[in-house]
Amino acid sequence: MALFGWFILRRVAQERMRTGLTVAGIALGVAVVLAIRLANASALGGFAAALDTVAGKTSLEIIGTGLGVDEQRLAQLTWLRTWGDVSPVIEGDALAVLSPNRTEAVRVLGVDILRDQPIREYRLDVGAGARQPTAQAFLGLLLDPSSVVITEVFARRHGLVAEPADGSEAGGRSTLQLAMGDVSRTFRIRALLRNQGPARALDGNFVLMDIAAAQWAFDRLGRVDRVDVRLAEPSRLDEAEKAIGARLPRGLNVQRPARRGQQVEQMLAAFQFNLAALSYVALLVGLFQVYNTVATSVIARRDEIGVLRALGTPRRTVLALFLGEAAALAALGCLAGIPLGWGLARGAVAFTSATVTTLYAAHAAGVPALTWIDAALAVGLGLPLALIAAAAPALEAARVSPLCAVRGGTDDTGETPVRKRWTAAGVACLAASAASAQAGPLHGLPVFGFLSAVLIVFGLAALVPAALTGLARVTGGRALGWLGIEGRLAHASLTGAIRRLSVSVAALAVSLAMLVAIAVMIGSFRETVIYWVAQTLRADLYVATARRSNLDAQATISPSLEQAIAADADVDGVDRFRALSVTFRDRLIVLGSGDFRVLLDHGALVFKAPADGPGALASAIGRDAIVVSESLSLRFGVRVGDHIEVPTPAGPRPFHVAAVYYDYSTDRGVVVMDRATFLRHFGDQRPTSLSVYLRSGADAEVVRARLMAQLAPTHRLFIHTNTTLRAEVLRIFDATFAITYGLEAIAIVVAVLGVTGTLVTLILERRRELGTLRLVGADLGQIRRMIVIEAGMLGAVSQALGMAAGLALSVVLIYVINVQSFGWTIQFHMPVGFLLQAMAVVLVATTLAGAYPARLAAGFRPADEISTE
Amino acid sequence: MTMRRALVLVLLLAASPVLAALASDPWKQASRDYAVRLPADHVSHPAYRIEWWYYTGNLETDRGRRFGYQITFFRIGIDPSPANPSKWSVRDLLMAHIAVTDAAGGRHLFAERVSRAGVGWAGASQRDLHVWNEDWEVRLEFGRHRLQARDPRFAIDLVASEDRRPVLHGQDGFSQKGSSVGNATHYYSLTRMPTEGFVTLDGERFAVKGDSWMDHEFGTSFLESNQQGWDWFSIQLADGADLMMFQLRRADGSLDPQSSGTLVRPGQPNRRLVANDFALTPGRIWTSPVSGARYPVEWRVSVPDQGLDLRVRPVVDAQELTGARSGVSYWEGAIEVEGMRAGQPLTGRGYLEMTGYSGRALGELLNPPPSATPRKAP
Repeated sequence: MALFGWFILRRVAQERMRTGLTVAGIALGVAVVLAIRLANASALGGFAAALDTVAGKTSLEIIGTGLGVDEQRLAQLTWLRTWGDVSPVIEGDALAVLSPNRTEAVRVLGVDILRDQPIREYRLDVGAGARQPTAQAFLGLLLDPSSVVITEVFARRHGLVAEPADGSEAGGRSTLQLAMGDVSRTFRIRALLRNQGPARALDGNFVLMDIAAAQWAFDRLGRVDRVDVRLAEPSRLDEAEKAIGARLPRGLNVQRPARRGQQVEQMLAAFQFNLAALSYVALLVGLFQVYNTVATSVIARRDEIGVLRALGTPRRTVLALFLGEAAALAALGCLAGIPLGWGLARGAVAFTSATVTTLYAAHAAGVPALTWIDAALAVGLGLPLALIAAAAPALEAARVSPLCAVRGGTDDTGETPVRKRWTAAGVACLAASAASAQAGPLHGLPVFGFLSAVLIVFGLAALVPAALTGLARVTGGRALGWLGIEGRLAHASLTGAIRRLSVSVAALAVSLAMLVAIAVMIGSFRETVIYWVAQTLRADLYVATARRSNLDAQATISPSLEQAIAADADVDGVDRFRALSVTFRDRLIVLGSGDFRVLLDHGALVFKAPADGPGALASAIGRDAIVVSESLSLRFGVRVGDHIEVPTPAGPRPFHVAAVYYDYSTDRGVVVMDRATFLRHFGDQRPTSLSVYLRSGADAEVVRARLMAQLAPTHRLFIHTNTTLRAEVLRIFDATFAITYGLEAIAIVVAVLGVTGTLVTLILERRRELGTLRLVGADLGQIRRMIVIEAGMLGAVSQALGMAAGLALSVVLIYVINVQSFGWTIQFHMPVGFLLQAMAVVLVATTLAGAYPARLAAGFRPADEISTE
Repeated sequence: MTMRRALVLVLLLAASPVLAALASDPWKQASRDYAVRLPADHVSHPAYRIEWWYYTGNLETDRGRRFGYQITFFRIGIDPSPANPSKWSVRDLLMAHIAVTDAAGGRHLFAERVSRAGVGWAGASQRDLHVWNEDWEVRLEFGRHRLQARDPRFAIDLVASEDRRPVLHGQDGFSQKGSSVGNATHYYSLTRMPTEGFVTLDGERFAVKGDSWMDHEFGTSFLESNQQGWDWFSIQLADGADLMMFQLRRADGSLDPQSSGTLVRPGQPNRRLVANDFALTPGRIWTSPVSGARYPVEWRVSVPDQGLDLRVRPVVDAQELTGARSGVSYWEGAIEVEGMRAGQPLTGRGYLEMTGYSGRALGELLNPPPSATPRKAP
């Protein structure tokens, strides 16, 4: 231990810069992994927590197909009562309009307040000091369709109060404006819910209504969303689930409430898996740095190790010393990384929640509390990986022979065979990567795809020494003549330190490769989406109830709104689109209906198969036929000509798959049927959005402005013109990938830190050499330039290697990982401009990274450095 | 008269400003011009605001184990034409109470449901005698009344026959309840219905036989603002006579002059009793540990001109129903009757109901205070 303190800690403490950079690298890596983990947990946690608190004591729930449970069928379910308490539920989202420009999303639960009490715990408070609601308050809630109960948390936050039951003056605002679908109404706050039971859901953004009022407000007359059942004997859950399932009519199913959480989890799995995988890149780069630091430490101190060995220190101890160094650095990094990760998580949640909400219709909550499990994970991940990273250089240190002490100096003997081994390993990695890219997904996740990507990264890292050596030979001498004598000196000193540099270069190259790959993937994706949007969005106006309407939205367009739009003189045709979330082969998919005739007239779908897509679409009209999205086709192996069982209110029915079309709006998989077919199976349902076609010559902007002026006072609606919707689609697209870029930027920061660290080490080692240079007449400017050129060269080399590997990675991302995760065909596209910009930035960044070491080098006083000679 | 039962609810509902506006106008008032006819009037009368079907009875196993039971369905009109087109809109509140008194076990079990009609999970038919609240129901089956209800702890499955002619109380079933015009109900009883079937207690099923008493009453308003509660008796005497009487207590402790009753004697016309014809004298007090109400559980009943002098005592003291959901508390229990008729010893059985000894607001429907959740069997 004393030896560790003297030999390692003293040095770690002395070289604050190098230590600091390494610790920062690990800290960032750990932080990013932790942040993404927390962000992912928040997306699911928010949903699961809301689900749990709202489900209350529900043991089982009866659900229908997409549209909930038809009341007529409900009437026949009285036998459910023999199992326990039964409570039909309306559940929906609304916007609380707090001021003209301030809204908050709230979850509205509509229950039969007469019968729901065994299932959920409520405690009501009415205003004016009465602790118990009076008969009047209760009857008002029961009878008046404009009654709501809000949580005391929400009331306090927004300065609202419950209406006094005795009709006296309220001590504050006792009304709440709620927008459901396109209709905004004023509700009377009849009572407050104490902070328990479902009131705790979603931070108090919870509104309770009577089922009759909720059904009317949400325009869901004639059906309920589900029926909650609390078993009288909870221990007979399995038996009850089976028995109830067997007795339910076709089209109705029984499930445990947690099932909905699991389905959302499944839905988000690919998205989150990819995010998590990316976060590990930053950690990987941090680990390269541990390797780098320990390796540098070993190389720089071969003679000291030799002395230790000569003094009789066993190899074991030497090994332990260097592993100890790695562990100490990693421990510091993890400690710093945990709080940093929590901080980053806030940013990550802000980034991901928009995506999750928009694309998956799940609700992200705030950042969950940092648990011991998270901390343990960070340490449990950081420490062992750091030890593995340090294992190779530490083993090498243990192999140093006592002779070194005698001979003195740093010799790089044995380098060539080692390099050859590395090269062989690199080639093997690349070969394995190619093989791995051919394998299919595992449980719907592109595990082998990521393995392939990781193998490319390792292959790249392993080939760096060989590449650097080759490059040094090729560029020797004249090629760098334009950089003058400093350039030649820089080249020479780098060539002499290839071994030490390899790791830094590899780390930077890996981060750059990831950046390039992701840039190419996103760029390709973006181009593909732009093309698809141009092909698909053909209507002049799009009407929805929210700015971003996700496909799961249950918010419907009211008849009055629809009529007002159809009545406009410039409107030529209106296509009503209805989307539902249904369970298909145990996964949640989107079932939509549109007017195929309109789609044909306007050519608004791009078909993947068959060759004559429009013909297939035309043939699908008037029979039980559907078109499916590409992602559904890939995920479930559904092909044109197949018959698949599509859930309908009357139970699953076979539908002919007429065509597969490209769709990038969701990776959940979409089934679309003609409106007439939909009506036949699902009955007349309010649309969730409208596509409006105008008479030729009409100006979409003018019509939009006119409709908004006419309808906005009475309805809550959003109308996009074709142009603004396209812009909106791309804006959502960019927002979705913002976090990806964020993660990559962090990885690059870590890598640039690594380059700085390496240069600092090199310079500290080269004090004597630099001193000599000064003595033979090099001025400070030349020294500085030389170091900066070295940094630039490292940047350039890493850049080139990163670019090559990045392109390989992008191919894996686009054709393997993306297809397996999301089922999207992406056309390969090089975002040349972006890549050039990124390269320039990295070159500048690495060159700047040389600035500090250069100043350090320039600060050496030649006499001090040489005097030891 | 079973007016008693829903009175608590009616009092509360009538006090509500929400209903004050609705209370009188849209509902039909009980009227002398309406003659009750059976079996047609077994069905529901939704034009009136309040209606109930009330079955109580004393039963015994072969080996003499004694039970009392109660199964009651209330319909309380709330809003005859709700603005909201939803099926879940509350036109009526449908409440049901069931109870079993186990003399041997010295206990009284009860359960309550408060529902809306909704998609038909609870209701009262206008076509025939059929009232239900989920899987609790009463229906006319092959000319006999089938009563079925179950709770996790106990169940009732009985068949009661219409043995005697229905008794129309008051004038052709028009029963005045308050001094104002319209404060009345249409009211008839089936006073002695031979009953058999099963009572289940804690999973043990008992085959039982005995006599039931059925009341059906409907009307819209019949309360005076100063009426506090009532004491109601239904007695089946061993000599074949059946006796119904009630007294209305005012807030100031005095008795309302509208108190009345009916005496049914085999082979003789029914005798209508007015307030002066009988005396009900409270005796021993039992205090409910749940509601704190003090009920006189023993009574002396006398009808001087019939030579009747009876002592009433409860089979079990604790026969209070404290509705966890409705917040309604009242005492409704099986009784033993002993006494004299014109000097001859006489026994009988029956049911006694006492209300207005503790009032709890309907507002607690949703919100029983934690201290008053009588989950345990009394």
